Amino acid sequence: MGGKPFGRPPGGAGKPGRAAPEAQECGAGGPEHTRRRGQGQLEAQVLAALHRAPGPAGAGWVRERLGGDLAYTTVMTILSRLHAKQAVTRERSGRAYLWSPAADEAGLAALRMRRVLDGEPDRDAVLTSFVSALSAQDEQLLRALLDRAADEDSGTDEARGG
Amino acid sequence: MGVFVFLPLVLPLTALPIARLAEQHLHPRATTRLLTLLAAVLGLCSTLCLGLLVVVGTAQLPGNPLPDGWSDPEVRAAVPFAEVAGAAAIPLLAAALTVGATTLRRHHRIRARTHRALDALPAGTDPAVLPDDAPYAYAVPAAPARPGRPARPGRIAVSRGMLERLDEDEVRALFAHEHAHLTCRHHRSLLAVRLAGCVNPLLLPLRSAVAFATERWADEEAARVVGDRRLTARAVGRAALIQRSAAPVELAHFAGPEPGPVPRRVAALLGPVPPARPWPPALTPAGLAALVAAAGTAASALCALNAAVALFVVLKAATPL
Repeated sequence: MGGKPFGRPPGGAGKPGRAAPEAQECGAGGPEHTRRRGQGQLEAQVLAALHRAPGPAGAGWVRERLGGDLAYTTVMTILSRLHAKQAVTRERSGRAYLWSPAADEAGLAALRMRRVLDGEPDRDAVLTSFVSALSAQDEQLLRALLDRAADEDSGTDEARGG
Repeated sequence: MGVFVFLPLVLPLTALPIARLAEQHLHPRATTRLLTLLAAVLGLCSTLCLGLLVVVGTAQLPGNPLPDGWSDPEVRAAVPFAEVAGAAAIPLLAAALTVGATTLRRHHRIRARTHRALDALPAGTDPAVLPDDAPYAYAVPAAPARPGRPARPGRIAVSRGMLERLDEDEVRALFAHEHAHLTCRHHRSLLAVRLAGCVNPLLLPLRSAVAFATERWADEEAARVVGDRRLTARAVGRAALIQRSAAPVELAHFAGPEPGPVPRRVAALLGPVPPARPWPPALTPAGLAALVAAAGTAASALCALNAAVALFVVLKAATPL
């Protein structure tokens, strides 16, 4: 194997090493935060590619659409991660999987947002909600207020019309 | 320093009448600013005095790292009931600081998690419309830059479930309301009041007062932007009813004897524009309450300062050079 060209990424040939996806994702091998942000961007890119696919697509097809400079295992890692987040679905086709988006980027955002809203009972102190919860009494009072306002509105309209 | 060191711990009581009365007599903008300022000053003074008592209390503990002279009878004579007060102050300050730090951390964590959730949508597409049937709308405060991640601007996150059930004008009012939260930096007031409540539980009632005042302020801004108070009232009311119909099993929600915040907001929007004065007229209950609160806050600041200087002088005299 000594005749291999230099500079080939370790993940490029046959069975890639475990370090390959990491090395590919962080590009120039930046610090931790660059890698993490890179992952988020790659996930979005892979999702976008799946959205443009005419139907369920294989990982190889996704890799080609992303320019082909990513290792196959990297694409697989990202797809599995998206699958764990329920952002994509997969079906078996022979020995490989075919992938399709369960939801788009917005769907992914909505999924994560729901996790924050459901998992943080104290969120109202940070995220200011448009309206807070109503009690049964409040609901009655509110309906009465809105009805009266609507009546007054139609009253003034009639007055203007006549 | 005498008994003055204890006063800032109880003077927050003077802020409670104005917290109740401001809603009816002041513009929500003035209410928010006044109550936030009161909470911040009273909270700081109360923590400072607790800190002074902790110094006196710690000096009496065996094996403490403070100079030996700090446990002299002259120092103890400066604080009434020095032994009991000093010993009680240590756990109190520890609890106050722990709860405050936890609150601050939770604030940052929720903000960061929400920004990460919205990162999937490019920042240019504000408001972030999320494909979710549950109706909700939130203003997400801006996050400053930290080592390792860039600053994030404040964003508005609204679910498709909410947008689909409001009409176009109501949606405009909703966005104006959330936008006002972001531009007026309401989350800062909310956090300040929250932390004040952590360090002195007597300040807890200011939390709900400021939370309500910021909502009212955003409502008034929205009404000004869309130019229609009735429309804004309808948007708030309908959004609340939509949310309630989407989540009918809200067992934990306790119905108090007074109407909740949403009906009060709608009623206020259907009423006249609140007066823009920054201070209630002097010879009314609200004016007197505001005066009491201002006097209490000034007294609290003076007492804390007096106690700090007095203790400094006593400790300096007791420290062998």
